[in-house]
Amino acid sequence: MPFTLPNNKMYPANHKTVFVLDHTPYFGISCENVIEFEFLKGRTPTYIPMAPISKSLWTSSIESAIEYCRIVWDLFPTGKLIRFFASDTVAHILNGWNTSQQSLTHILNGCALIGVPPSPPSHRSSTPSPDYTVLHGLRAAIEGMCEPTEYQIEKLKNDNNKVLNRCRVICITSARDNESMKRLEEIFLTVLNQQNKLVAGNDSLLPIDHCHLVIINTFPINIESSVNNHPSKALSSLLTTEVHSIKAPQIPNKLSYLILEHYDLASTTVTGIPMKEEQNASSSANYDVEIFHSTLAHTAILKGNASDSAAIRTTKDGLEYETVTLKWCTPRGVTGNELQNCTAMHRITPVDVNSRPSLCLINFLLSGRSVMLEMPRKAGGKITSHLLAAHGGEIFIHTLCTARSVLEDPPSISEGCGGRVTDYRIPDFGLLIKQNTLLPIKTKSSNEIQKPTERVKERLNRQTKYWPLTINSTLIFNLKQCIDPLPSLIVKEKLTTEEEFICKKIIYNLISLETKMEPLHSQNTGQRLKGQKREEQYKAMWNELETFLKSNLHSDNHRSVYQCLLECHKFSFDDDKVGEKVDLDDALNQLDNIGATTKDENSQRASVIRATTDSPMSPPPLSNINTTFGRQQSRGNSIYSAQRTLFEIFAGQEKGKNRTEFSGRLGDSLVTKLYPNLKTDDRGPRDGAMEVE
Amino acid sequence: MPTVILLDVSLSMTRPVQLLEGIETTRKQLAITGINAFLDHLSIHSKLEFIALMAFSSLYEEKCSFTRDYNAIKSELKNIDDYDKTCIETALHGVNHMILTEWGNNTACQIILITDGSTGIGSKSLKESLSTLNQRNGGLPFPLPFPFPAKIHVVCISAANEPNFIKSKSLYQRLIDLSGYDGSIHVPDNLQSESNIVNLFQKLAEEMYTSFKGVLKCGNLESKIILSPTPVAYTKVTDFNTQTYNVSNLIDVCGFISVADIGSPMAVSRHLILPAGILQKPDASSNEIDLTDENSVDEGSTPSFCVLLHGALKVENMAALVSVGDNWFGFVYSWADSKKKSNLMLTILTPGSDVIPWLGDLNELGTADMFPADQLGTFPLRPNEKRSYSQNGVVWIRQAGLQSDIQKILRHARKLPEKTQQFYKELNRLRKAAISLGFQDLLSGLARIFERECLQLPETAHPDCSVQLQHAADMLRKPQNRDIKSMLMPLQTNYNSA
Repeated sequence: MPFTLPNNKMYPANHKTVFVLDHTPYFGISCENVIEFEFLKGRTPTYIPMAPISKSLWTSSIESAIEYCRIVWDLFPTGKLIRFFASDTVAHILNGWNTSQQSLTHILNGCALIGVPPSPPSHRSSTPSPDYTVLHGLRAAIEGMCEPTEYQIEKLKNDNNKVLNRCRVICITSARDNESMKRLEEIFLTVLNQQNKLVAGNDSLLPIDHCHLVIINTFPINIESSVNNHPSKALSSLLTTEVHSIKAPQIPNKLSYLILEHYDLASTTVTGIPMKEEQNASSSANYDVEIFHSTLAHTAILKGNASDSAAIRTTKDGLEYETVTLKWCTPRGVTGNELQNCTAMHRITPVDVNSRPSLCLINFLLSGRSVMLEMPRKAGGKITSHLLAAHGGEIFIHTLCTARSVLEDPPSISEGCGGRVTDYRIPDFGLLIKQNTLLPIKTKSSNEIQKPTERVKERLNRQTKYWPLTINSTLIFNLKQCIDPLPSLIVKEKLTTEEEFICKKIIYNLISLETKMEPLHSQNTGQRLKGQKREEQYKAMWNELETFLKSNLHSDNHRSVYQCLLECHKFSFDDDKVGEKVDLDDALNQLDNIGATTKDENSQRASVIRATTDSPMSPPPLSNINTTFGRQQSRGNSIYSAQRTLFEIFAGQEKGKNRTEFSGRLGDSLVTKLYPNLKTDDRGPRDGAMEVE
Repeated sequence: MPTVILLDVSLSMTRPVQLLEGIETTRKQLAITGINAFLDHLSIHSKLEFIALMAFSSLYEEKCSFTRDYNAIKSELKNIDDYDKTCIETALHGVNHMILTEWGNNTACQIILITDGSTGIGSKSLKESLSTLNQRNGGLPFPLPFPFPAKIHVVCISAANEPNFIKSKSLYQRLIDLSGYDGSIHVPDNLQSESNIVNLFQKLAEEMYTSFKGVLKCGNLESKIILSPTPVAYTKVTDFNTQTYNVSNLIDVCGFISVADIGSPMAVSRHLILPAGILQKPDASSNEIDLTDENSVDEGSTPSFCVLLHGALKVENMAALVSVGDNWFGFVYSWADSKKKSNLMLTILTPGSDVIPWLGDLNELGTADMFPADQLGTFPLRPNEKRSYSQNGVVWIRQAGLQSDIQKILRHARKLPEKTQQFYKELNRLRKAAISLGFQDLLSGLARIFERECLQLPETAHPDCSVQLQHAADMLRKPQNRDIKSMLMPLQTNYNSA
């Protein structure tokens, strides 16, 4: 289902934001909003009055703008860029679009350098007073918006697509009246048009496709402004402007309202957070913490039941936006050890970052614990709708699926294919999982031809060249005490000489076990082993080992181990003179199998034997696979590879359908005693074996 | 995929149709016959699908909520009355509400709109609805596109050459385009043949519920699988890109990560992985044991890699990272429903390799022995920059922030000289912020507060208290200390050296 979205979601204006801050002498005046110091009052009878402390207009505007950045960069560490321009007689540019300059520290240092607004020019001064105006900053902002960001450059480079250069300017200034505000907007539009013409032929600069100019007109609390608000209106197809006229202490609230709109954010109030009292550690009271995050985190709950969603949306006093109230749900057990059904995931930041309740919640989450949030339901009861959790020092809100699932009432895996098999090699696969557990790689492999993931896939491929799924279908992997660590070594990409030696030693050891006629003890005693005679066990073991080694010829050292096996043990497919006699041997085998009667007899015979020795569920005997294998290898690019005639190919296909060769024909001698162990006690376990399964 | 059957029960649906056999029926009756055929098809081929039935005219009525009991819908179809005029917008609002309350905004759904080519008259007609799409000031917006992924199929019980249908076809297409996913429009070749209608509905059912058949692979081990529900393509929109991603038939294991490290990332969708029969390996000479020569293979007792993988993942509490498409990943893990029935689940992530910040680039993960130890990191990855809430930054927007910062300094001041270090550290932090924000009032104000503290010190106070407070006040007033780089240092006194 291809989904074509309207283009307006792409190239958002919030990719590039410029703050233009008025740094003219007027902004050096006080907001007249005195900061209370209750804790200084009346501690001692000798009360000394304090001179009032109040922020200047400049301090109010810069701290609000910085708070705006704090929220943006907490929620969007990349891709949302903000620049700062201060304006007095010239424009002071505090940072660029470059990612390295997109940080609070960089901007705060820049602010410290430009300092407080200059003092007003004295009237008596003979020199003409310099031209203090916010226009310098606005003009510079327009130029700045034409500079492409790293993301825009990348996009232009990648597919030569036209990039829509949309941006936003937030200007905090103070105008005399509506008329001068209007003039400011008009000048801005004129400069914008001029700049676009200027940029037209320039490849290194981008014309502005659209600019959203947000003007915040501010003044001290004891003044009434004659500038009116106006909602956003399009001055031209290039420019949309809006004006907010507010007292200086209100700037932060206004910006928190605007930021929600600019970045499509929403507010959640986590309510009922139990916190220990500072004074009385034994009791705890409940607190609320407000957080910001993308609105998408709310989509699921707000789009659902209308009456439920109406009940959780409230507007706080003095604020212009709604917040969704969700209840803290004290975590039970470990929630992190389960994959939650999470439909959305977004970074959060507390609105009041330094308040005690915020810090308390933040530290709780950063310590690795997570919190579920509950939403009450009109119909009664409540539903767990979100999860707050920190990952690597960043806090996220996870939206959990609250709706019905289409996966209702699923069948258990044991009811499906392979579900009734009970002897999967689960611990062995667990080991494979552990050996292939992924970790992050610190150095990026940008220049490498192969990505690490691809290398892991190759590695998995190598490690599973021969990997029987069940205990019953393998012998060698059940003989860990005899063959470890060979299985883990042989699947490696390269073998050291030492490892090669260890592998060979294991082969020699098996040979000596065989000569001593030691029984092969299986760890997971499958019934097949019991029923088998010792020679057959060894035969099966050698054949499977050969298959295993043959599948893992990754290097010369691997080949050397395989060669060692071939030299030590005589296989059914080879004769004394391995190298030279292969073709003859092959041909002889094929000749033996041409006669249809012989073949049928053989297979019938084999199935009779199987029927009496194996349970019906058993896979075919390993020796069978080995014959298949022995044939196949002469085809492959192994040490046996040789040109094949049409007859050989034909004969090989015929033989492919064949079953086990009668064991008597496989040995060195042409004479074989039938039922050699008939009279020994070795037959005992057979009856027992039949009862299993 | 849950499906809503949206049946037009307006008067025009009662128009008579003369069948070829000579029997007279109505369009509504033909529609009902069609729906029955559709349900019959499902009960054989896709019996786990949820179907709902909604009837509409100028109002809408939920006749049957989402169910797997298709007979319930069939019996509901028997008592459907006739009402006034067609109003598709209202009906779509109904569908929107019905799906959101039941499935939320993440489940892909399908809607079959069964009507007769007349799209209503007056202000509530489809034509009018579509022409006023962008002029809904304050009113209820048009329901499309739905907040959930949804395909719309329109079945028109009319002759293909009816002027009504020819006129409405473009309006239906507009609806489908608005929905954002590729739906379809169907009209019977021959309205007068019941079997033609039945065929149409059966074909529609086949098209709508194609099951996903693929292969789950880990190196040389593999298993044929079916994903349920069928995954859909996903369009990822970022600030600079729009790209549609398709799920590949090969779900390839790229390694393993512990479930605790994965930490519940956002999923586009979740699917049950059901092993599907025995894999007939094309390469018959491979080293795996070929079991297919036994004629009567019992599926349950033939080993399946899926079951092995499930068992091992469950025991180890791990998940397998899998690629599900080009630069698109997912996790396969053991999942148990409320009844503790355990199953293999695939969670499909948002497309891209950098979608889980704390796992880093999913293409840049390796095993411990592939790289030297100094090149390996651990999960979770931490971003280069700390977030503001772990930086101990200064925010004085609310007065309480500034007040508590000053109180903290004064608390240290009263415990001088033990707290000399902390006193100056906090003082410098506050001073630095005040300089950056151009808050000069605070610097002089703090100097006065310190002097006042000196006067109010109890007699038992250590002499260092007043000395350091006075020193700090003097330093705060010095203009050369208005530089962000300078630091206020404690005054070396005999008292604290002692």
